[in-house]
Amino acid sequence: MAEHAWILAAVPGIAFIVMAALGRNLPRQGDWLAVLCATSIFGLFFAVLANFLNLGGGAWPVLNSIEWTAIGDFKLNMGIAVDPITIVMLAVITTVALMVNIFSVGYMKGEPRYWWYFAVLQLFVASMLMLVLADNLLLLYVAWELVGLSSFLLIGHYWERRSAVEAAKKAFITTRVGDVGLLIGIILFWEATGTFNILDIIHYVEEGAIGDTRLFVTMMFILLGAMGKSAQLPFHVWLPDAMEGPTPVSALIHAATMVVAGVYLVARLLPVFEAAGALDVVLVIGLLTALFSGVVAFAQTDIKKVLAYSTVSQLGFMFVALGAGYASAGMFHLFTHAFFKALLFLGAGSVIIGTHHHQEMGQLGGLWRKMPITAGTFLIGSLALAGLFPLAGFWSKDEILHAVEGQGTFFFFLISIAAIMTAFYTARLFVRTFLGKPQDEEIASHTRETGPVMTLPLVFLAFMSIVAGFFIFHDFGSAFGFPGGFSEFVFLHYPHAFHVDWGLVGLSTALFVIGTFGGAWFYWNGRLDRSTVMAEWQPKVYEMVQRKFYFDDLYQFLIDRVVLGFSYLVSWFDRFAVNDTGVDGSATMTGYAGFLLKHLQTGRVPNYAMAIAAGVVALTLISLAVGS
Amino acid sequence: MVPMENYLVLSGIIFSLGVYGVLARRNAVLVLMSVELMLNAVSLNFVAFSAYLDPDKATGIIFAVFVIAVAAAEVGLALAIVIRLFRNRSTANVDEAATMRW
Amino acid sequence: MTTEVLWWIFAVAIVAVSAGVVFARTVIHSAIFLILSLAGVGAMYLFLTIEFIALVQFLIYGGAVTVLILLALMLTRMGIAGRPEPTTGVQAPFGALVAAGLMATLIGVAVSTAWPGDLGQNAVAVSIENIGEQMFQNFGAPFMITAALLLVAFIGAIVIARQEDED
Repeated sequence: MAEHAWILAAVPGIAFIVMAALGRNLPRQGDWLAVLCATSIFGLFFAVLANFLNLGGGAWPVLNSIEWTAIGDFKLNMGIAVDPITIVMLAVITTVALMVNIFSVGYMKGEPRYWWYFAVLQLFVASMLMLVLADNLLLLYVAWELVGLSSFLLIGHYWERRSAVEAAKKAFITTRVGDVGLLIGIILFWEATGTFNILDIIHYVEEGAIGDTRLFVTMMFILLGAMGKSAQLPFHVWLPDAMEGPTPVSALIHAATMVVAGVYLVARLLPVFEAAGALDVVLVIGLLTALFSGVVAFAQTDIKKVLAYSTVSQLGFMFVALGAGYASAGMFHLFTHAFFKALLFLGAGSVIIGTHHHQEMGQLGGLWRKMPITAGTFLIGSLALAGLFPLAGFWSKDEILHAVEGQGTFFFFLISIAAIMTAFYTARLFVRTFLGKPQDEEIASHTRETGPVMTLPLVFLAFMSIVAGFFIFHDFGSAFGFPGGFSEFVFLHYPHAFHVDWGLVGLSTALFVIGTFGGAWFYWNGRLDRSTVMAEWQPKVYEMVQRKFYFDDLYQFLIDRVVLGFSYLVSWFDRFAVNDTGVDGSATMTGYAGFLLKHLQTGRVPNYAMAIAAGVVALTLISLAVGS
Repeated sequence: MVPMENYLVLSGIIFSLGVYGVLARRNAVLVLMSVELMLNAVSLNFVAFSAYLDPDKATGIIFAVFVIAVAAAEVGLALAIVIRLFRNRSTANVDEAATMRW
Repeated sequence: MTTEVLWWIFAVAIVAVSAGVVFARTVIHSAIFLILSLAGVGAMYLFLTIEFIALVQFLIYGGAVTVLILLALMLTRMGIAGRPEPTTGVQAPFGALVAAGLMATLIGVAVSTAWPGDLGQNAVAVSIENIGEQMFQNFGAPFMITAALLLVAFIGAIVIARQEDED
């Protein structure tokens, strides 16, 4: 079954075609088809997993490829490669996709283009699965662009709203900048090794087939693509705006799956990054991103925006782990983060539905009594994100701390700060949304808990948020068929057995306590809104944070002044040099030449006969001269 | 015996005289007669070649026959045009038919 | 020897009458010169011992075509009041130049070229049977097409030259 894992991608692909063609006319606009599709790939995943684990480590990675096209000597294969990293991604995608599909049935009820929403969701799942299954960079790139497309379509789902259109364009264009880098990187790889196959490329690189400088440059381009997709500094700007899309989409695409495609790509090519000496770059970018977006998350007032910056920050954590050379730590955080972040986003979606579309924290508060299930699961997700022992986030963050330990005290200190910030803004989010007194009685009076179609996915994900971290343990892993736990399942060069480092556990818990209780104390309702306090105390700093360190303004400036200025120059060149002089000019020249030459046409037949005769003589003489 | 070059030179002279007639004379019928001279020169050339170089196939002779046939057709048509021209413009001078222009 | 002398006499005569065609001041004179010229060329065919072509030349050119031309001349007779018109156009000097150049080129090429397979400088008699076979076997299709061409041309000539009713 593992070698036929492509079926996983094929099922939603077919579902997309069916739903895009017929969705509007199906009963219930085809949402049952979406859920059926998600359920079947969820089931199929377990078949793949069982087969994969049965085959055992000797058979990994499981390969299956066919010849795609052959042009002369140039042969292009297309196929799948299933290894532990892929399996982890498959687990995340199929699980979260199923939950999101179920949740969406409730969330999107009565929304415009209901059928189209589900159709594109299937397209996204299909392309995301294709992305992680692809055994070559070309197929990966195709899937990479397809997920970008479906992300664009889903962010812009409410295209009647101008802000949604802007956000969709922003996401598409920003990631496109990175994608161009990825494409250049792929081409450079192909030029150097003559293959797109990922395993072959890694093999060539380890043999030293590519020169140092060239390899480094190539990896920088690849990294550019990963940064764009995973919203790393300075490409992070699109992700918070992408919250314009329906909330379940945010959960699936902008928290659990698509944004981790960059992390996946780096993890997949980690040996190459290592050989290129580019790991430090990954580490620094991840660290900057984690710190930066942690700070910005303090000043956000929209639930989803906080979660978005939190996602950016956590993606930074993953990059840090990968940059430290620990594929297992990065992938493990990806794995656990997918569950609790999807939970938080779906929880936010539940809040939005329960309060009839309110998501500003200033208007909420005290939802605990009105929405107990949502609040309870949200609490579990928050604690997992903040890193409470022994929830999922704790173990994965622990692994990252462990990974960074080897990189020196400075980095370790900074990542600890980032961890505290995570706990802090998470506490702020939870406290201001669910605890205290309602800020707006009008909204509070209408608020009610959402139905089971939305709460059940929350409960399931909450369960996963609790247990997902245990996959790190040997006993837990061997129960599922991979003894040694997660870190002996996914690794860069050799597995490392996981040991609980009680010192780290203590430190980690301390970070959690500082952050969480600091945040809870600071934002506990009944006091003033501490954001206001901050704003009054240091208005400049507060404004800077709230304006996201002016990144958007900087980009706007760059686009307005530099890009548009240059465009104006180019358009001037096009209009005057190319169009007027070149195109119109040549036409005018031709016309004028014709105007002059028409006088040769006398209309008198003898003149024409004369021209013919003279021409014959001239040609004869010329041919004689040339011939002799 | 008469060598072949003699025929070729003779035909060249007749042809050139015909060309002069076509280029210089104004009367359309005379232009036509000059064209007949040119055609004759060509036929003579063909026949001379055929007789001297390739008597078995007689290709040049056949060609001369065709030239004569086509010339007959051409004369018939051209004279019809000349008559038409004369009837419409009361002239048979080629340089007075000067409307074939922009 | 006699043949050669005769040939030269004929050749000079042909050149003379051909010049007469293009230089004569009256068109009628030109037409008469043309008849002589055509007949002279027919005689040349006799020198080449190809009587068939000579016969065709006399019949079609000397007879039919010339009659046609004379007819056209009569139909296009200019006004009787003989205001003397120039017989040559303004480009006559250039025409003479070009024609002279052409003549020089043609003669030069004819004399200077070493013709392949020039068999003993002797014209060989071509039998009329041979011509007949060639024309109706190897050149059957062009022969038929020529027939169609003649038909079309004469119908066209009739249509063009027809006196229209409204005129």
